[in-house]
Formats: sequence, C-alpha cells, structure tokens
Amino acid sequence: MPYLGSEDAVRELRRALSNPNVQSDQLRYRNTVLKAIRAMSQGVDVSDLFSEMVKACATVDIVQKKLVYVFLCSYATLNPELSLLVINTLRKDCQDPNPMVRSLALRNMTNLRLPSLVEYVEQPLAAGLRDRAACVRRVAVLGWAKLHNLQPDAEIDAAVVNELYGLLRDPDPVVMVNCLRALEEILKKEGGVAINKPITHHLLNRLKESDVWGQCEVLRILQRYHPQSEDELFDILSLLDASLVSPHPPVMAATLGLFLGLCSGLPAVSLAALERVRGPLLAACGSTSRETRFTALCHIQLLLRSLPGLMGAHYKRFFCGYAEPAYIKQRKMQVLVELVNDENVAMLLDELKGYCTDVNPETAQAAISAIGRIGRSYSDRCLEILTGLLGLKQEHITSAVVQTMCDLVWVCPQCSDTVCSALEGCEEMLQDSQGRQALLWLLAAYGERVSSAPYTLEGFIDRVRSEASLGVKMELLTTTMRLFLCRPSETQDMLGRLLHYCIEEEMDMCVRDQALLYYRLLHCGIEETHKVLHGQRSDPSLGVLIGRPAEPINQWAYSFNTLEPLRQAGVETEPASRGSPEHVTFDPKPNTDLSDTLNCSQIEKLGTPISGQLLPFFFAEPLKFHQVGWGASVHSHFQISPEMFNRVQVRALAGPLKDIHRVVPKPLLCYLGCVLRFVVLLEDEPSPQSEVQSALEHVFIQDVSVHCCIHLSLNPD
Amino acid sequence: MIHSLFLVNASGDIFLEKHWKSVVSRSVCDYFFEAQERATEPENVPPVIPTPHHYLISVLRHRIYFVAVIQSEVPPLFVIEFLHRVVDTFQDYFGVCTEAAIKDNVVVVYELLEEMLDNGFPLATESNILKELIKPPTILRTMVNTITGSTNVGEQLPTGQLSVVPWRRTGVKYTNNEAYFDVVEEIDAIIDKSGSTITAEIQGVIDACVKLTGMPDLTLSFMNPRLLDDVSFHPCVRFKRWEAERILSFIPPDGNFRLLSYHVSSQNLVAIPVYVKHNISFREGSSQGRFDLTLGPKQTMGKAVEAVLVSSQLPRGVLNANLNASQGTYTFDPVTKMLTWDVGKINPQKLPSLKGTMSLQAGASKPDENPTINIQFKTQQMAISGLKVNRLDMYGEKYKPFKGIKYMTKAGKFQVRT
Repeated sequence: MPYLGSEDAVRELRRALSNPNVQSDQLRYRNTVLKAIRAMSQGVDVSDLFSEMVKACATVDIVQKKLVYVFLCSYATLNPELSLLVINTLRKDCQDPNPMVRSLALRNMTNLRLPSLVEYVEQPLAAGLRDRAACVRRVAVLGWAKLHNLQPDAEIDAAVVNELYGLLRDPDPVVMVNCLRALEEILKKEGGVAINKPITHHLLNRLKESDVWGQCEVLRILQRYHPQSEDELFDILSLLDASLVSPHPPVMAATLGLFLGLCSGLPAVSLAALERVRGPLLAACGSTSRETRFTALCHIQLLLRSLPGLMGAHYKRFFCGYAEPAYIKQRKMQVLVELVNDENVAMLLDELKGYCTDVNPETAQAAISAIGRIGRSYSDRCLEILTGLLGLKQEHITSAVVQTMCDLVWVCPQCSDTVCSALEGCEEMLQDSQGRQALLWLLAAYGERVSSAPYTLEGFIDRVRSEASLGVKMELLTTTMRLFLCRPSETQDMLGRLLHYCIEEEMDMCVRDQALLYYRLLHCGIEETHKVLHGQRSDPSLGVLIGRPAEPINQWAYSFNTLEPLRQAGVETEPASRGSPEHVTFDPKPNTDLSDTLNCSQIEKLGTPISGQLLPFFFAEPLKFHQVGWGASVHSHFQISPEMFNRVQVRALAGPLKDIHRVVPKPLLCYLGCVLRFVVLLEDEPSPQSEVQSALEHVFIQDVSVHCCIHLSLNPD
Repeated sequence: MIHSLFLVNASGDIFLEKHWKSVVSRSVCDYFFEAQERATEPENVPPVIPTPHHYLISVLRHRIYFVAVIQSEVPPLFVIEFLHRVVDTFQDYFGVCTEAAIKDNVVVVYELLEEMLDNGFPLATESNILKELIKPPTILRTMVNTITGSTNVGEQLPTGQLSVVPWRRTGVKYTNNEAYFDVVEEIDAIIDKSGSTITAEIQGVIDACVKLTGMPDLTLSFMNPRLLDDVSFHPCVRFKRWEAERILSFIPPDGNFRLLSYHVSSQNLVAIPVYVKHNISFREGSSQGRFDLTLGPKQTMGKAVEAVLVSSQLPRGVLNANLNASQGTYTFDPVTKMLTWDVGKINPQKLPSLKGTMSLQAGASKPDENPTINIQFKTQQMAISGLKVNRLDMYGEKYKPFKGIKYMTKAGKFQVRT
C-alpha cells in the first residue's frame, strides 16, 4: 500500500531510534518502537529499520521486547542475514529467570521461520521441553512442529519424538494437547501420532481437564484408535457420554464423530447416539451465530439420511425467519422436505408457499423445488400451489416452476395432465435458459397433449439465430424431432428449417453433430427414428419421498464434522436405488450446484446386485471429468472401425469413486444423452470387450459420431 | 489448523491480516470478494467458500467479516466457534468491535491474536487470562500511555495460568464485595396472520459481574430449574451438582462473565408479551393501500413493555406512506422502503396505533406479498420464561457480599406476518 510521506516517516523513526538520548530514556525508546509498529500496521514499509530494531531488542523491558518481536517476525524473511543478529539476544532471553520472557523468546525464535537459523534454535527448544514453567513447555512443544514445517524433508529426530511422546503425560493439559498437535504435524508422513491403548486411556481420563479446543483435538485424534475388545469399547463410550451432550457444539460434534467411528460395527449404538445428540444439535440450530446454525443444519441433513424420523416432532424449528440469510433458508427448506409426513404436510406446504415469493430469487427457487419434491408424495396439493404460482407472472418464479414440474413429471407421470394444461402461455415469461430447456423437454415428452406446442416451437425456431445457450439449442433439436414423430404435419416444415440452419449455419460442433445425427436418422426411416428417439418419459421408480429406506450410518459417518456436508453440492438426496441398469439414466443437474467432487457411491450400490454386468450411465457436459490419455486401446476393446470414433473422448471420473456417493438423475437431456454421450463403468475387468460390445450394440448407430467415455473397473478391490 | 486471518469490511477491503504459519497472499480473498459481490445482502455470503488450495471460513459480526484461511480438513464448528471467540474478545477489550476500534487498537489486536493462536492452534482464549497478559485499553489508560509512554502489555507472568482454578487469578482484593447477576431473555417468535404463534423460542443468558475478594465459592439456586432446556455453562460451574441437585455451584471468574445460557423451546408454552392487530391491504387497480397497526400488551405479568420499535419492509411498489401515529414517531425511507415506528412505552389504557394510507406506483400491479413486521421491545423486572433465582450463597470467605439480581426480557427475532 503506498503511503504518502512514508519515506520521511521512516527516516525520522530511524533517527529517533538511533538517537542515544532516546535510547537512554526507557519510555521514549519504547514509544518510538510503538510508533514504528503502528506505521507497519498501516502499511508503511518500515523494513529499513530492521537493524535499529535488532538493537532495540536488547532491553530489559518486556513490553518493548514484545513489540520488537512483532516487528522482527514480520520482516525477518526479508533480512535473513540481519536476523542472525537477533538470535543471540533471543537465546540469552531463553535463559531469563522470568518464564514469560523465556516463552516469549522461544515462541518468536520459532516464528522467524528462517531455515538458516534452525541450528541455533534447536538447543534452546530442547531445553524448553524440560523447562519447569508450563507456559514455556507449551511453546517449546509447538516450536518443534514449526521447525519441522520449515524443513519438511529433514530427518525426524527420534529423540525429540520420544520426548514429545513422554510429554503426553505432562501435568499441564495444554502441553499434553500441544504434544498431540506437534506430533501430528511432525509424523504426518507416518500417518500421525501412534495411538495405542495406554495413550488412549490416558487421554480420555484427562479429557475433562483441557479446554474446549483441546477436547476437540483429542477426540479427533482418538478416531484412529480401535478398541481391542467390546468391553473396552463400551468403557470408552460411557466415558464419552457426557461430552456427547456437551453444550459446546464443536465438542459435541467431535464426540459424535468419534462415537460413529468407534461404533461402525454396532449400528444400534450409533443410532442411540444420534438420538442423544438431537437436543444439542437443535440448540445449535437456534444459536445466535448464523454460521453455527448453518453448520448444524448441514449436519442434521446428514443425520436424517440414516434416521429420517429424528427431527419429525421438531419441524417447526426449521421454519425460516424473515431476516435469515439465504444460505440458511435454503438449507432449512431441504431439511423441511425430509420431515414431511401426513400430519404436517398442510402446514409445511403453507409455510413453503410463503417462501416462494421471497425477495431473493435463489431462495424462491429453492422453495419452489422443495414443493416439487414434496409433490412426489403429495402431488395434488403441490401441483395446486405450483400452478397458482404461475399466475404471479414473475420471470424467475415461472422458470423455477417449470423446472420443478419437469422434475416432478419424471417421477410422477400421473401429474402430466395438470402440468400440460399449466404449460400454456408460459413461454413468454421464461427468460433463462434452464427454464426454457425444461419447457422444451416437457413439450417433447407430452407434445401430443399440449395443443399449442407447435406454435411455441415455431417461436423458438424463429429466434434460434439469436439463441445463445447451447443447451437450449440441443434441447430444441430433440424436441422438434420428437414432436415431428407425433405431430408430423404441423412440424415438418419447421423441422426442415431448423435442421437446415443447424447443419449449414450453426458454428457449434455439438449442435451440428446432433443435427447431422438426426438428419441421417431420418434417412434410416421413421421406424428406426422412432426406436431411437422414443426415450423414457418418466421413472416412477425414483419414487416417493417418505417411507424411503434409511441409509446405513457408515455411508456418511466419515464426512461427519468435516467440511464436506457444508459444500454447496450434494444438496439433493436422491436415492437412485432401483431400476434396471439399462434404464438408469444419470444426468447431473445441468444448471448449478453440482460440485467438482461429484459423488456417487450410489453407483456402487447399483453395481452390486448386477455384479458381472456392466453399468452404463449417461451424463452431460457439466460433470467435471478429467481426460485421460487412453485413446489407442479403446479401438481394440471395441473392435469397431476407427472412423466410428470421430471425436472419441475417453474420460475417467474426477474423484476416486468411493468418494462419490450421489448422482442426481434429472430428466433434462437424458434420452438425448442415451444416444450420444455416456460413460461406461465396468464392474468386472476380465471380460470387458464382449460385454461392452453387446450392451452397446443397441445404442450405437452406424455412421454417427459417438462420444464414448470409458472408465474401467469401479472397484479396484 | 487456522492458517491466517483476514478482516474484511462491508465494502470489500482487507484492513487487517494475521498469519500464524507462512504468509498466505491476499489474493486468496478474491474468492471471498467474488462471493461477496454475488450476495445481494451482506449476510448472504456463505460461511464456507472452497478455493483450489484453501478453504475460507468466515463469520460476519458487526459488519466485519472475519475470514479464516484453512489449508487442511478441519471440523467447521471448531473454526466458527473460535472466530466468534475472537470477536467476543475484541468486544470485551474495546467495548465495540468496529473497524475503527480495531484500527485504533491495532497493536493490541496483534498482541491478542498472537496470544490466542500459536501455529494455528488455540492457546489462550479465556478472557480473564488474556486480560492479565495484555491489559485492555481504557480511555484513562490511553491518556496515561501517551503521556508516560507505557503500553498495554502486562508486565507480570499471569498467575492464573498456574493457579489451580484456571479462570480465576489468586490474590484478588476488593473493598466493596459485590456480585450482580443479570437474567436476560430474548424471545424469538414468528406470529402468523391470525395472531397464533408459529414458532417461539426463548434464548436466555445469565451474565454475572462478580467482584469478590479471595476465592469465594458460590451456589445459586433457582425456584424452577426444570424450565431450562439446553443449558450451556461457563467452565467454572460444577456440572455434577447441577445434574444431581439442579444447583449452580462455582468459583466465579473475576469480573464480567457469562455464567450460563439456555433455551426454552417451543415444547414448553412460551408466553408472548405483545400482540399486534394489523390490517394492511392493497386493492387491485387502485393506487392506494391501507395501513392500520395497533399494538397491545399480552402476557406481561403486569410489567410495562418499553422501548418498542416496529419496523417493516414495505413492498417495492409503495411510493410513500401517509400515516398517523397515536404515539411516537414514524419514518419511511422511500429508497429502501423501510418503515420504522418508534413507539416507546405501551400504555395499556391507550394502545398505540399507526393508521393511514400508502400510495403505490401508478400502474403497478398489486404487490403479491404482504410485508412482515419486526418488533423490538424490552420489559424490565421480568423473565418471560418465568425463571426466578431463589438464593445465592457464598462459602469459603468470611465477609458478607452485596448481592443483586436483575431480570429483563427483550425481543430477539420477533416477527409478525401479515
């Protein structure tokens, strides 16, 4: 930050600092140092004063020392040579009779962070470990961790590690916890502190002595311990019982995390623990801190996956306040959806309806899609609300409603009549691409029932030149094709125009390829076209919201009390657990909140019952996949002439599959995906060729460019 | 654990940064600024923002974002709780936690942050111990400092760190021995159109100011301890005795501290101290809307409702409001559409009301939602949950302390839908 007159200020400060008169007057000297620090915090570059400050460090005045240390630690990296001069003073201070001075010197010595100084620091640090004042030991213990961070590749001194292990028995609880922290960092490569039975019991017995932070740390590290017998396990659990209902949310969460880890083989005990934390968790949801509320909500969502009835009676606690931030409202709605049952559905829907007109468009959208999800179980009431919302004639509301209807129809085909009649006249209100895509999809699926469908499409086709969204263009092509199949006379002309435009003028390869595909498809005859394009219109197996089987706790226990549940993604909890593999069409939400660590242990789940078979699943672009260089072998695997693969892209999943626990199926683009894009996940490695081929035969069409994405072997073990 | 801390103000400037491990470049905050720009309201910035190499966990208090930079997996509640502790400490030290206060006391802030975390791990967070390490600035001390050149750094080793009771230092002496307890309850409620309660919850705290000589051992008992649902204690409270006898037994820290906080949730019936009669309506096709609001006391146990402030965000289409307040003054900001009515005390004989018309934008359609009314109020001498302290006894010391207790009820997030 440039600061006017900074050079003058620095010059003046230097003059004052080196003035013998100032130096002899304790107070004036200290004040001048303070001025320098103040200038530093204002962004003035006072690094030139380094040598003067080094001199100022040699003083008996603790206060001045403290100030000088602040200065030195900020500028040491710029002046490694001069910093050497400080070391002497610091080392002398380490012998001071005052423990506060000793700890201060030790802490700052390690905070200089200069690799060149390590050799001078080691000896005082070693002495610090044996100091009789606890505050010096605390600093010394962490000092070793800092030293290790400076030279991560240096060999670990076994003597120091042993001494740190010994200090776990230190009478001061902070020293104990700091030892754990330091060992965690130093032994990172070996997997952290080694936890055995005596250490575990020692830590547990002294848990109460340490502060909240220390308790969290100890509980976290203990997750690595495996009790040797069931008796021991239950002893540990009963010791921890009090912390489970601790009023401090971090401690409560850490304890529950440890509980879940220890009881992974005892689901009944884990469930009892979940019941027990209900009170503290709900209290955290009502905390004054927004951030704590948010985190608690995210964790409640996790818990509900295994124990859907956990919060049933408390659903009113999740009603949104007017002034709450959007991110809390959205989470609360997701929780509300999970809590719906016959008694409270009217109340909940009424409440959600109120949120649909929220000033924040994202919150309004979340409310609308929440209603849509409830609609899977209570379709009539929800459709009534949704169609009512269309009457408001608000752009973002209409778009969200159409998208929601699109989702709803996919799982509840019985809603289609109401939806079809609601669609009339929506297209003027739709501005964003997702909303229009959803509308187009609905027109494609139920075009024969919407009388104005050809006129709507005509409007879209007339404007296709100015259309910016790729998704809308692709969807438009498919919709026109499908509508052509059921209402040929009305659509033939516009289909011709659209295909002509897309093939001749369109710049985007994807759209062009798609149009070419359809064009050639039409050449094959109407029968063939029908066979390919007649995709699924709905998948009721994805099913209702309530009465859904609870997931085992182990599915999510590893991510409890970590940052993962807080991420934007994975918001929809969609168990795609049924359906034959050929029909499982996966498609991530094309619009927004899918994170890059797309999750899908669902896939694994799906894979298990059909072991030995392959599992195709389809995807669209927004999924983030990494490309791998695997091109050559594909051909041999498929034994198909190379020209088939005009634009072969072989991809693997971005994350390890075991981290991927959810894929959100959504009807948008899905049968389009059937034809063009898919990832093949192979369950067993031994015989991929033949099976891949046979399964793909009915999808592949001669003379068409196919984007084939193959990932071998789901499950390496 | 916590790598660095950035303090960001509402306009998106970093005005303070502190690094506990290596220095993380300021550019990491760009991700935060992006989120800040995207959020329409300052509160809407998500508390956890993933970036390619770090996580940013932020807490918004007093219009300042405290952004912690995290490099490895951490328990999120831990970091959030710690950041709140930092803010509490600043508030404790400087009275207010504003940008100006932090900038004025920047040296103390650095010292505090240095003591609170070492290598990213929490070290000393207990306010009593910190105050012995670093003396809080006061106006008098600031003046003395400028004259004599002394600073706020404690010159002795804090005895508390070595004493048996970590939260209390030894050798405390007062001439007047006094102990005051404030029972403050905040009522959060959502009231629906017809006046029935949708949710209501009481969040209560007991703040104490204890100035007693030596090592006093206090016990505090309640008339009706079963009322308290989720209780969270200061570490000094002996939990075993509370579980067994429902009595608070503790050796208090010196000075101000929060003895306990509790919730009384909707499971128990929560009394609502005020009611609102409202009639806010817009007619289709007309450019006028009616506004009619009357407040009255409800279950207040005979205590007066004071400092009443009503605020409401009127719909966007409202151009102006022409109202008549029977008591107090009202303001309407035509830009933010915020209507504020400062009522003052409610007189049960003559209920305050605000009546009149709202003019709407010509040609605008009827607003599709009615405004929500937020109400703030205070009631002295009463805890709305009915909590009452029975007695306070002191053991371990010879003198007779002066004891005082005060009750107060405030509105927290109290809103009425219309």
